[in-house]
Amino acid sequence: MAHRLPAAAALLAAVALASAGAAAGDAGRGAALAEARGCGGCHGPQGVSAMENIPSLAGHPDEFIALQLILFREGLRDVPPMTQLAQGLTDQEVEDLAAFYAGLPAGHVERPPRDPARYQAGAVLAERLRCGACHLADFRGRAQMPRLTGQREDYLAHALAEYRDGTRRGTDTNMNAVMFGVTDAEIAALAHFMAQQ
Amino acid sequence: MHRRLLALGFAATLALPVLAQQAPVPAWQQSRSGSTNASPLAPHPPKLTATAAEQVPVAALRVPAGFKVELWASGAPGARMMTESPNGTVFVGTRTIGRVYAISEEGGQRRVRTIASRLTDPNGVALRDGNLYVIAINRVLRFDGIEGRLDAPGTPTDLTAAFGLPTETHHGWKFAAFGPDGRLYMNIGVPCNICEFNRDTHALIVSFNPDDSGRRIEAKGIRNSVGFDWHPTTRELWATNNGRDWAGNDTPDDTLHRIRQSGADQGFPYCAANWRDPAISRGPASCSEFSAPAALLGPHTAALGMRFYTGTAFPEAYRNQIFIARRGSWNREQLSGYDVVVARLDANGTVTGVEPFMTGLRDEAKNRFLGRPVDVLVRGDGSLLVSDEQNGAIYRITHGN
Ligand code: HEC
Ligand code: HEC
Repeated sequence: MAHRLPAAAALLAAVALASAGAAAGDAGRGAALAEARGCGGCHGPQGVSAMENIPSLAGHPDEFIALQLILFREGLRDVPPMTQLAQGLTDQEVEDLAAFYAGLPAGHVERPPRDPARYQAGAVLAERLRCGACHLADFRGRAQMPRLTGQREDYLAHALAEYRDGTRRGTDTNMNAVMFGVTDAEIAALAHFMAQQ
Repeated sequence: MHRRLLALGFAATLALPVLAQQAPVPAWQQSRSGSTNASPLAPHPPKLTATAAEQVPVAALRVPAGFKVELWASGAPGARMMTESPNGTVFVGTRTIGRVYAISEEGGQRRVRTIASRLTDPNGVALRDGNLYVIAINRVLRFDGIEGRLDAPGTPTDLTAAFGLPTETHHGWKFAAFGPDGRLYMNIGVPCNICEFNRDTHALIVSFNPDDSGRRIEAKGIRNSVGFDWHPTTRELWATNNGRDWAGNDTPDDTLHRIRQSGADQGFPYCAANWRDPAISRGPASCSEFSAPAALLGPHTAALGMRFYTGTAFPEAYRNQIFIARRGSWNREQLSGYDVVVARLDANGTVTGVEPFMTGLRDEAKNRFLGRPVDVLVRGDGSLLVSDEQNGAIYRITHGN
């Protein structure tokens, strides 16, 4: 994304604000609810996961967290245990949880050491498939598009394979289209590269 | 349900013979080049949590002098296409949240019930003889006697296999309505941004007998029409259409089509808004062999729901004119749309102009939006309802006191 034009960067500031739907969540209430519901037991007390295949939630855009919780609650993203855990959450509670996790600093508990060959392969793929056009050049995410940096490598690989195989569909089908025909080895490289950011 | 369908859809319909071994270009990337390569434009996020009534931006709405706009219902996240029963119950389809709502009047208040959920983009809702048809992606359900069973709609009759709709998710959501001929009409969008495809299976408006037999092509070469209606006197079918992305801020316009004969070809993918699309090298050199659009509706505005005004409550000048909801652009640097316009028709049915009718949801100075109108509906009492998907709200426009 080094070729991004200054004009595009300026536009981005405007685009990021395009929706005036102000975040209605309260991070304090969200923290209390996460505590009461035991979310930290799997996702980590500060939203940074130490468990295999369980995503970190810290530092995602609040809109992404809220949308995924609604998809779980409505049974549209149907994965144990989240579909069950999201039952009964009110819209306000969803927004409070989203505000809480969005405000926490992203990071890693631990991550696999860098493998230069896989890292390089992942960097080339990320450029070719233009992950940064949607997730932003530094992959911190925006709106409905999640943060990729600070995410666990195993979970990234798992999520990318689900999009490719059509077993996960999000609020739109962009990721399914992006991942069409991407091989397992390429997914491993992309996940490694993103987790090293 | 939707597992693998998307990938299969792409493989089956998008790959040209020569490209059969390669992955097709993803829809969001098709035809992007040069400066659009670096563009950070992406679809705006949906909002799937309820917006509290006092947060709905009804105070920002503007309508012409003599009209009044108020909040009719809220708490219906993702509200999109609408249809009204003879009793005045309004049934509302959605996309991302997978629900169908029934909104009824109870003691001067509106009550919102979720009557179906867990569906993939149940955008299409249509009523006939007291039965509600819900069209989701590759799914057709019929809820019999729905009005008397709002609290317990029961298991619908599944007509999916009988209708045999294409399975693609991309542009696979439906607008649906019964025509004056008693047939069930719906769109079949094209499963890409711009591509070559089978012109007899996609980019169509089709109709069926209500018992699902006798599919007929009503309009051809129409990229994705998520709104249509019939002229109240001529009974001609009129339809909105969404133009493609990534051809520049001002190209092409979304369009309004007058379908003069059943099956008439509107030109996609070769032509859009009288513009010969250079992305498709095969096919006719000019657009003259296709029906020209009846009106241009602005670039990337996402013109969706449209209805002829058939009531008597608005001034005579609105009779048989077309209200059109424009959900608003994402593929354009300066936002466009986010309003309701009225297309003015003369006695011959020629469009003489397109005027703003309900505005205020687009903040020009800050280039941001407050809501996204998706459908319009003329109620039995002559008032006009407007659904706002972003706020999960429905506005009501009346005239006079
Ligand atoms: C028993 C372990 C467990 C608990 C407790 C739990 N989660 Fe999860 N959560 C998961 C797993 C596993 C996934 C990933 C599912 C998948 O495979 O897609 C997930 C995914 C998520 C996601 C989607 C994140 C992404 O990047 O896609 C969100 C948001 C989330 N959980 C929020 C919560 C909240 C809020 C709570 C507390 C109410 C909670 N979780 C409790 C295991 C758990
Ligand atoms: C056209 C826009 C677009 C592009 C390009 C794109 N993404 Fe995404 N991505 C999205 C959206 C939207 C979502 C959320 C989908 C959902 O609701 O599940 C997403 C979700 C994801 C997730 C799920 C993360 C989580 O926490 O659950 C991963 C991983 C991901 N993208 C990685 C990538 C990678 C790697 C690339 C480049 C190969 C890429 N994306 C390119 C739009 C895009």
